[in-house]
Amino acid sequence: MIKKIKSSLSEKILFTFLISLAVFTFGSFYLIKNKCLFVKELDLDGLKISDPKNLAIMDVECGKVAIELYPQVSPKSVERFKYFVNSGLYNNSAFYRVIENTLVQAGDLEFGYHDNINYFKIGSGTSKLGKLKSELSNDYEFKAGTVAMARGEFDTEDSEFFIILKDIPLYQGEYTPVGKVIFGLDALKKIKVGNKTDYVLRPDYIKEFQLLEN
Amino acid sequence: MKYIISIILIFNISVVNANEIFNLLKIPNLEIYNTNNLNGLKYLYAESNFKIGLKKNISCDKSKKKELDKKYPIVEKNFNKYKANFLIKNNLKFIILCENLTVSSINTGGIPNILKRSLILDINFNQKHFERMIHHEFFHMIQAKHNMIFDEALWSEFNRTSFKYSECSTCSDRTDLNLYEYTDGFLTEYSKSIPSEDMAEIFSFLMTNKELVEKKIENDLILKNKVKYLQKNLKLIDNNFMF
Repeated sequence: MIKKIKSSLSEKILFTFLISLAVFTFGSFYLIKNKCLFVKELDLDGLKISDPKNLAIMDVECGKVAIELYPQVSPKSVERFKYFVNSGLYNNSAFYRVIENTLVQAGDLEFGYHDNINYFKIGSGTSKLGKLKSELSNDYEFKAGTVAMARGEFDTEDSEFFIILKDIPLYQGEYTPVGKVIFGLDALKKIKVGNKTDYVLRPDYIKEFQLLEN
Repeated sequence: MKYIISIILIFNISVVNANEIFNLLKIPNLEIYNTNNLNGLKYLYAESNFKIGLKKNISCDKSKKKELDKKYPIVEKNFNKYKANFLIKNNLKFIILCENLTVSSINTGGIPNILKRSLILDINFNQKHFERMIHHEFFHMIQAKHNMIFDEALWSEFNRTSFKYSECSTCSDRTDLNLYEYTDGFLTEYSKSIPSEDMAEIFSFLMTNKELVEKKIENDLILKNKVKYLQKNLKLIDNNFMF
């Protein structure tokens, strides 16, 4: 004969607590590991596209990012930017400078490729096409999503660019804006950060970058 | 091998407090104090100590909030004497406020950088001459931007033939910033160090106490010529500029 033993209230509470803890632990592990979990996918039909020739799609680890280019604001810089996108030179370019929730930077075509990165020289590479003159606009507001050419001093823009993840009014009139992210800022916010160093070790990179229409 | 490379990399990573201001000015640990000024100047302050320069030879300390709030209105009042156009023509946009500013361990009031369009100011440098120091340091920026206009050889010719400036501003013991009773071509002892300091001293007095300079030049022809030279050349930079 088996004697039925009823569990006490404290045992029931302990059991419930252990089950909850297990669910929370496994859930958290999954959430932490999958950093792209809540990033929305790009739906081109839902976008307002004014000119497909000036829309670039960048594929990063957590999804696709749509960037509208502004040749009317900075014609020379946009022309060069489009050349690099079209020729595939930005593909595999590392996001070597990333400041959390502030900006991501890529486009070193000499020392910044994901599979051939040079940590000692990254950020100093050139495209061999020469430097561009800064095309500054005192009217263009640096809102979150603005894509701009990176530079050391003025008139030294080449291939590197950055995207800001928040409004930075201080950059107005300081950098050449080439476009703005119209979709995918969430995916950019998931890029691996390196706040306390000059560059990110083992950085995320651009999988593919292309214009919607050539 | 991987471990060796990792160790090398770890020691080569320079630790910075990266933010959007660092990206722009390459000075770490800065925060915005005020960016809404009519003449377009952006005021920043050191949230913690920083060291910059190739050999990290320039250092400045965190500004204490109380001190910052006390000094900022004075700095702003003095820079408000310049119109936006004049500041643009002289590459000044960012004022960085901090304390105990040193270059190679020598205390200094300000460090201009015309490429970054910034001027680092020590808000605790020489309380007695603080306001004048602001204009003095800005003049170095004006001169650096327009070095062809402010000819130091020509300037030296205004002085008596027997007078010679020092080799450099820090290798001389002519450091007193107090106004001379009897000027004889120089407003302060520091004016006698090198031509650019002489120009900056006169400029700073003209910006803070023009009447006093006008009184002094009534009986000092050398000083009168120097003032005229400065006025004429500043008009070349901006015709609307007035002391």
